[in-house]
Amino acid sequence: MSAKSKQDAIAYSEGAIRNNLSIVEYCRTSMAALSGCTAGLLGLTSLHGAFFYIFALISLWLMILFKAGFSNWDKYFISRKALLTNGFFGQLFTYILCWTFIYGMVHVY
Amino acid sequence: MSSNALYKFILTLGFLSLFHAAYSAAQHRSYLRLNELDFTRLPTDIFIQALISLFVIIYGVLHVVGDFKEIKASADLENKSWETFRNVQAFYTFCHRGQSFST
Repeated sequence: MSAKSKQDAIAYSEGAIRNNLSIVEYCRTSMAALSGCTAGLLGLTSLHGAFFYIFALISLWLMILFKAGFSNWDKYFISRKALLTNGFFGQLFTYILCWTFIYGMVHVY
Repeated sequence: MSSNALYKFILTLGFLSLFHAAYSAAQHRSYLRLNELDFTRLPTDIFIQALISLFVIIYGVLHVVGDFKEIKASADLENKSWETFRNVQAFYTFCHRGQSFST
């Protein structure tokens, strides 16, 4: 019994998880800021901007998975879905900030 | 080390390209204003340049920021053998029968 549960449990190294997540967080923040700048530059308004944000998130997710390797991403991350959805609304505000700022700089003034 | 410099170069290139696209868009906008035309959409080349430079920047950021580590706790222990762990220097003993063979 105990031998079986010992086999099922996987020990994760906390430092490595934290390192990976901080890398992903960094990428996500810069992606939010930069895609906001691009959205403002392209002059997107209303729902187009929201769709562009979702598009940017999904492409960032795919790029992270590409960097980790599509077949062995589970060596680096516990959950692939959490990688996509973590901090969705938190980064949305960064995105909107950059979007409105660059839209004002390029298209209004 | 040199690959990191390469990715930083890619990052700089992407930022310059994005800035150039923004400047082009602003100029297109002022051209429209001077000719009293209505803004419908950006020219396709500025659109494509902005998108491509966004992806170039993200590619650069992903590689500049560092490598992932394996999250399994046993990842860095796997290629060490039992002999390596058993090798404790405090338990070395030199006072054994081998001494009499060496003299």
